[in-house]
Amino acid sequence: MKVLIVEDEPKTADYLQRGLTEQGYTVDVARDGLDGQHRALEYDYDVIVLDVMLPKADGFATLSAVRTRKQTPIIMLTARDGVDDRVRGLREGADDYLVKPFSFLELVARLHALTRRNRGQDATQLYVGDLHIDLMARKAWRDNRRLDLTAKEFALLAALARRHGEILSKTTIAELVWGVDFDSDANVVEVAIKRLRAKIDGPFATPLLHTIRGMGYVLEVRESSGRA
Amino acid sequence: MTLSISRRLAVMFAISSFVLLALISVALHELLERDLLRHQRAELNTRLEVNRPLIVKTVRAEDWTHVRNKFEAMTPADGRIEYRILSDDPRFTYGDPLPAGFVAAEGFGVLAEGDREPPRKTLVRTVPGNGERPDVRVMVAADSTPFIETLQVFTLWLVALVGGGTIIAALLGYYIARLGLRPMQRLSLEAQSLMPERLSTRLQPAHLPEELAEFTDSFNGALDRLERAYQQLEAFNADVAHELRTPLTNLIGQTQVTLSRERGVDELKDILYSNLEELERLRAIVNDMLFLARADRGELARHRVEVSVAKEVERTVEFMEFLLEDADMSVQVEGDARACIEPSLLGRAMTNLLQNAIEHAERGAQITVQVESRADHARIAVRNPGSIPQEALPRLFDRFYRGDRARSGGGENHGLGLAIVKAVAAMHGGAVFAASDNGMTTIGFTVQGP
Repeated sequence: MKVLIVEDEPKTADYLQRGLTEQGYTVDVARDGLDGQHRALEYDYDVIVLDVMLPKADGFATLSAVRTRKQTPIIMLTARDGVDDRVRGLREGADDYLVKPFSFLELVARLHALTRRNRGQDATQLYVGDLHIDLMARKAWRDNRRLDLTAKEFALLAALARRHGEILSKTTIAELVWGVDFDSDANVVEVAIKRLRAKIDGPFATPLLHTIRGMGYVLEVRESSGRA
Repeated sequence: MTLSISRRLAVMFAISSFVLLALISVALHELLERDLLRHQRAELNTRLEVNRPLIVKTVRAEDWTHVRNKFEAMTPADGRIEYRILSDDPRFTYGDPLPAGFVAAEGFGVLAEGDREPPRKTLVRTVPGNGERPDVRVMVAADSTPFIETLQVFTLWLVALVGGGTIIAALLGYYIARLGLRPMQRLSLEAQSLMPERLSTRLQPAHLPEELAEFTDSFNGALDRLERAYQQLEAFNADVAHELRTPLTNLIGQTQVTLSRERGVDELKDILYSNLEELERLRAIVNDMLFLARADRGELARHRVEVSVAKEVERTVEFMEFLLEDADMSVQVEGDARACIEPSLLGRAMTNLLQNAIEHAERGAQITVQVESRADHARIAVRNPGSIPQEALPRLFDRFYRGDRARSGGGENHGLGLAIVKAVAAMHGGAVFAASDNGMTTIGFTVQGP
């Protein structure tokens, strides 16, 4: 997976490059709009992360320059929350946008969506360690013992299991499980995780559901017992 | 750049004076021209009639010489008047022959002859034949140069008067307008002295003419609203600074302490996680403030669809289900209304309202959501046991207002929840309301009807 980051703010560009490289992407960075256009047209990327405020040529100019010849998926980063920016970006051919300040996890999630990674596997049976989930029958077992889950608890487990090993933010979980697409102060997700954890990890020696402080939750098998 | 009012008025004065003077001038010109023509005709008539008896009584050819002499004598030397007597019998004629092709018709006419300019005015009368003398036609031709000159001089004067009058009207108009607008200048000077540092200053309508008093009142009204908005903004800025200060202090201090000594990986990780939590809190505050700023700018919900409000409320209740269960509470949704709303915004407002109810009601309480369809809006009210002091009700929707101060700093709630409800209502053209009596608290909002 090759990604081009067009961003002039050095700290942002650096952490995006490091973070995405560690996520397994091959990352190129352009520091201004013209360089960005040049690279985007010259090389083939799977996705482009494009800042709006750029020297030499701004994000919109870069976007339209790329769109004249290429349909590479583009996600725009805007610092202003102006609706105009968002509407304009999407109208002129951007595939998605994120408003700064955004969380890195959110960006990764959007990039996954755009590059259709982790999508399309229509597996009906999921296995995470000794956890077995049957998506069709809507049943789950651990260590061959049937887990007694409510519908919402099962939906939460399925969402985590489909993307096991990947940290899911509370916002993403709220969207996947409840279809809630807005920020909320309510700690619904924490409470739901607590309940699910009591059922799938409580009676067993090794925990599978881990909390990553400040980021979200991940379902995975860890060698040593992870931090709670 | 448009013209100043004084100039504009001066131009309008000038135009109206010009039109008026021009109309009068045209009328005068017309009158004079007619009068001159009348005079000229009277003169021609007199000259002809005076000589008529002479012709009438001359009946023989040998007496005609006398007639010719008489007419010769009467013709002035300057050629201003010319007589002709025309007849089929050459013995009874007088004067030069007429130019070829000219028909001397009976009555008044115009004689264009050779290089004589302007053409002369003529009068032709027939004297019936008598004795030897056949019918003769007598023609008097008068030079109209004096009349035309008079008319030209008069016209010149009129043009000069119209021009001069217009200029004087413009100058007077400008002066009058300046004079009339002097109160505006005073007002403008007063307005210039309005400064953000002295927000409570107002324009003084006392010494202004009544036309401006109304304007001054509206302007002062606008200043009142601005002052209130400005004060709110200032308070909001102070609140924001305060809310951001705590997490920032934690971040800076904690990072400095951490870096002041060698730390193990686990400890460093722990501190990074803690920093991340603070940063997430900052991000949530900033995002919420940006959302509120959008509503403040007057932005309206864009993706409105017509829905059953009760169904949307049920969705939010389902989302909050675990929290409600933990607090041993239940929610009953009563009534329904169809309204055009943006579902995610309604969900956000409902979440905040239910969150507020859960936080402020006793364990095991019953929460009621009443949805009503009113004349031009839908009304959503969340009712729960618990009371709020009356004096706190108006401030409930203020940003960062926390009825219960002890609660501040705890949990995820940073005091913008109900302010967001208000913003959502505003984005749907609605308003918020709150009431508390008999141990029950009702808080809700309206959205403009479908």
